[in-house]
Amino acid sequence: MSTTEDVATEQEEEVETDAVREAIAGAFAEHLGDGLLDQHIVPGRDLTIRVDAGSWVSAARFARDRLGMTWFDFVAGIDWLPSPFGREMEAEQDWVVHGRDEQETEEMSTGVAGGDSRFQAFMRLHSTEEHIGVTIKTDLANDAPAIDTLIAVYPGANWHERELSEMFGVDVVGHPDLRALYLPTDFEGNPLRKDFPLVARRVKPWPGIVDVEGMPEEEEAADESAEAAPATGDSTQGASTEGASTEGASTEGASTEGVSTEGASTEGESAEGESAE
Amino acid sequence: MGLVESGKMPKSITKLLNISRKYSLWMYQWGLACCALEMAAAIGSPRYDAMRLGVIPFPASPRQADLLIVSGTVTDKMAPAILRLYEQMPDPKYVISMGSCANCGGPYWDSYSVTKGVDQIVPVDVYVPGCPPRPEALLEGIVLLQEMIHNEDPAERWKGNDGEYAVVGGGEIS
Repeated sequence: MSTTEDVATEQEEEVETDAVREAIAGAFAEHLGDGLLDQHIVPGRDLTIRVDAGSWVSAARFARDRLGMTWFDFVAGIDWLPSPFGREMEAEQDWVVHGRDEQETEEMSTGVAGGDSRFQAFMRLHSTEEHIGVTIKTDLANDAPAIDTLIAVYPGANWHERELSEMFGVDVVGHPDLRALYLPTDFEGNPLRKDFPLVARRVKPWPGIVDVEGMPEEEEAADESAEAAPATGDSTQGASTEGASTEGASTEGASTEGVSTEGASTEGESAEGESAE
Repeated sequence: MGLVESGKMPKSITKLLNISRKYSLWMYQWGLACCALEMAAAIGSPRYDAMRLGVIPFPASPRQADLLIVSGTVTDKMAPAILRLYEQMPDPKYVISMGSCANCGGPYWDSYSVTKGVDQIVPVDVYVPGCPPRPEALLEGIVLLQEMIHNEDPAERWKGNDGEYAVVGGGEIS
């Protein structure tokens, strides 16, 4: 008993500091000097460093040659701008259609290891021998984002950078073939930018806002009130709460499931649920 | 087939022709997303076995097909290819739109890259709603289409006067 507790506390102490990742971050700092702007370590889990745009390629080359990070995972971009159209999934109204409240404008946050600009580029590199990886990110200019190509270091970056270019409108300097990868040739705009308008939203509000089913909170409340009523057993209790939450569900269930062999028992349970209500 | 186009064919012959056509539908399949698995189950598995309805999958090319089944998400980039291959099919030809994505865009209704319904590019005869529809629903759609073919006046159809469609499970397409 005491031994297992000791082991647990030892493990917790162990992940408080992460010597391996700190050594990697230190190596980057030594190599890049002022080019390393910030670093963020989640002990035992992850390492993120932020470099300036000029150190983007040399950081990748250093990671590949000196740190053994020979596996190139991806290059991606991110647009940190809070959506001018709001988070429609949580909104009571569709802000595209109804307009947005002024006081609800959000501050721009730039995630771990910080940032000064709206656009950032990410690359993820991994060492298949040390089983450790690093995320390198850099700030891109707001008005005309541009980044140097990584193809000289990792040839596999080619298509990633084409996607970065078409989705965010980032100019990849030195890329040999910067055509659109996924989008149709005549597509206009950069769809993963937050201010890219979705035309369908202008015509029609998000249908999910007018959901005909009850919200989960309402269902839970109904369940609790039904549980308060006396029930004969566990199995019937589950069925009774189902029957009580919506009146239509019990009759519907009985009619559709009547053809199956379980139909009889379902019918009986839902009838019990109605009497309990 | 000049007789058919002019509408001067005897009714009994038309009926015979319709019955023949409805039980030999060569089916050209566009499996574009997860609906394709349900379509594959409907046509490829002994459990559902669409071939017993006279639907013959796997024509060598669209030029030998009578029926186009679009199952899955049609993107704007894919749409020209669908139209082009649909145009290569010989008349009379029919289209089944399977699944919410092909019907109206489905969960991707506001996406920047998804066509909001395949009926924007080709005329659809039967809509099969569902996300994805079960194989039974596709079979129902095929049966509905066969009913349409059975009662069809070929002359009207080939004059381009046909705007009718059916929806599995009833309902209207607005």
